[in-house]
Amino acid sequence: MPEFIKMGVILMIVATIATTILAATEEITRAPIADAKRQELLLVLKQVLPKGFNNEPDQDTLKLSDQSLDRKNKPVTFYLAKKDGEPQAAAFVVVAPDGYSGNIEILMAVKIDGTINGVRVVSHTETPGLGDKVSVTDWPKSFEGKTQTNTKWGVKKDGGDFDQFAGATITPRAVVGAVKRGLDFFVANKNQIFSSADTK
Amino acid sequence: MITNRQAFINGFWTNNTIFVQMIGMCPTLGVSTTAINGIGMGLATTAVLMGSNVAISMVRKVIPSDVRIPAFIIIIASFVTVIDLLMNAFFHDLHKILGIFIPLIVVNCCILGQAEAFASKNTIIKSLFDGIGTGLGFTLALVLLGSVREIIGSGTIFGYNILGASFHPAITFILPPGAFIALGFILAGVRWYNEKRVSPIK
Repeated sequence: MPEFIKMGVILMIVATIATTILAATEEITRAPIADAKRQELLLVLKQVLPKGFNNEPDQDTLKLSDQSLDRKNKPVTFYLAKKDGEPQAAAFVVVAPDGYSGNIEILMAVKIDGTINGVRVVSHTETPGLGDKVSVTDWPKSFEGKTQTNTKWGVKKDGGDFDQFAGATITPRAVVGAVKRGLDFFVANKNQIFSSADTK
Repeated sequence: MITNRQAFINGFWTNNTIFVQMIGMCPTLGVSTTAINGIGMGLATTAVLMGSNVAISMVRKVIPSDVRIPAFIIIIASFVTVIDLLMNAFFHDLHKILGIFIPLIVVNCCILGQAEAFASKNTIIKSLFDGIGTGLGFTLALVLLGSVREIIGSGTIFGYNILGASFHPAITFILPPGAFIALGFILAGVRWYNEKRVSPIK
């Protein structure tokens, strides 16, 4: 057998064995990974949604797309919390494209009366130690209980009610703006969010 | 011929990937913002090194030397993917922290370097010891660097606050420049220690 064919055959055998092992591992880990991801989602949903719902918010979803939620019009998933079938609140992810570096993804939950129940920054690439305070400190708690009208939306520097951080104004400003857009969208489309889920 | 013990010591300290060979700097500087990240990344790399060293040592006589590099890369990449999937499934929280750095183990030259320089020339058992030694040496370097950066940059160690509230952390140290500064001082320290240890014999 010529040398180059032998080499090709050997590489093929190595690749075949490697692929088999990879396929087997993927098969074994697929269910645990999906489960771990679901648990993780449920955990963050529980952190932002009001207590007392008894449905499975990750199963009770609908997708809506709007430019105010995501600049590229990507559909946003709304997770609905219900108590005995009665809608209580919805949680959804808004994207702040105007942070200091890259997109900031914010999970927020709004009660049916238009009050914010919880806000959590789920992913960002802001500067550690400066802008990342929006996710590692208690800062997101300052959104709790806020409505469209009971607060001045904006960071203190812009005349609003929300704290900025020393050395980091852009990040909190972006987060406040995104949450406000999310809240406005929720209030304007509340009926659609909850009614379409009933027909499901 | 070297013994198993020598293979281990050689990988762990004498030829330490970070302190002496200074390869594999990308994950080192990238993940070492905290001590716990260092441990996670170090142990994941150790697992890959053990697996790839043993596998490469097993096939070293079958693979023609002309195609050994692609074959090694396939083996290493497979081990990394397997570890990535297993960690994602069973240590999901740690996987979330290390995130993008796990696939990067593939391109960590310390693994291909060890495959090429050691595993392709030595027996399976020796390669296993070399893998463990090199991996733990890498872990040691990452934990050391991670601890220094975490203490100075956030005032904590393994997440516990040790320097009190009055301590004002130097944020630079959890940013990329801090990694270079801290690594420089650690390298100087290691050199100093090694010289001090060797000189009386002269």
